[in-house]
Amino acid sequence: MTPRQRLVLLGLAALVLMPAVMRIALALPAFGAPEAELGQAMNALVPGLRHVTNMVAAVNFDLRGIDTLGEEGMLLCAVTGTTVLLRGARGESGRERAGHLPGRPVTPRADATVLVCRIAATLTLLFGLSVALHGMTTPGGGFQGGVIVASGLLLLYLGEGYEGWRALIPPPVLAVLEGGGAVLFVLCAGLPLLAGHPALQNLLPLGEPKDLYSGGLMVVVNAAVALSVTGSFGLLLVEFLEETREPADDPVPEDTLPEDPLPDEAER
Amino acid sequence: MSALSLLDALPWLVAVWLFAVGLYGIATSRHCVHLVGCLTVCQSATYVLLLGIGYVRGAGPPVFYDHPPGTPAVDPVVQALVLTDIVVGAAVSALLLALAIQVQKRRGTLDPQALRPLRPPPSSLE
Repeated sequence: MTPRQRLVLLGLAALVLMPAVMRIALALPAFGAPEAELGQAMNALVPGLRHVTNMVAAVNFDLRGIDTLGEEGMLLCAVTGTTVLLRGARGESGRERAGHLPGRPVTPRADATVLVCRIAATLTLLFGLSVALHGMTTPGGGFQGGVIVASGLLLLYLGEGYEGWRALIPPPVLAVLEGGGAVLFVLCAGLPLLAGHPALQNLLPLGEPKDLYSGGLMVVVNAAVALSVTGSFGLLLVEFLEETREPADDPVPEDTLPEDPLPDEAER
Repeated sequence: MSALSLLDALPWLVAVWLFAVGLYGIATSRHCVHLVGCLTVCQSATYVLLLGIGYVRGAGPPVFYDHPPGTPAVDPVVQALVLTDIVVGAAVSALLLALAIQVQKRRGTLDPQALRPLRPPPSSLE
């Protein structure tokens, strides 16, 4: 099918669908005046029931916790798939050096870059940790905090170079973080089942509102999600950065090439 | 159809427009990475729709740290949905990009038009 034919087909489909879409768009409740009761009921009841102040975290980690468990599984599957796809084509021998084009000079990092990245990475990691820990009280939580920490890891790469980065954060640690977080979540959901309660039943003491420990089981689930998201995104970064190596630099298993004598002096 | 009701429906129309733009990009795409980007645009249409549906005029965030419980707040359920979806969506985009890398390695092209899935890859013909 040529692009023109595809466009014509898309146009025809749009012509058929457009009246229905317009009908629905105009029949939806007016912007700013929703008719859904569930969210408002949660806003009214949850602060008293669960002793937390962040309703979004309460929805994610308690009231719709099973839903989040599914999302967690999707995250795990997506990251596993990415890792398998990239590693399968590349082989697993992890030589901790970045590849570079032969003949192209490797300029060392400026001291200013290293300094700025070290400062910024520390601050970013701390900020991510804080956002993740305060998920029950203020906007934040495991998902956001985990992503912020993972972007801090990227800043570490920018400052330290590939070799130093791999030494600081070995990929097995990231894999353990990811899998361990998911296992912790499953345990949180499953252990109440063994005791004869519904899954994810909040059996821990709820704590005080506005406290770092508030929400009982939610704190554990939040930590599990934070670990898992940090591990996932860290692992994605490692795998995609590995892709930047020259294929000759890292022979795939069935390849019987000897250790190639590229005269590269690593990063700096 | 008064002007007011059209204004009330504006966020939904923006969501429809975003989705349509993404779909146009997918249909006319000549590059797999561009395809993934278009899919992300389609996805963001759902964020606009969900967050728009949860918005309550004059209400604050559903976080009762500074203001006591009971003050008007927007719907927390849709925000939770969007939040998890952004994170999972980013991971799924990474998966799709990894697929694109594999396509480039095996077929030597990223143009969906040039891909013929049912033929053996050129390397196995030798």
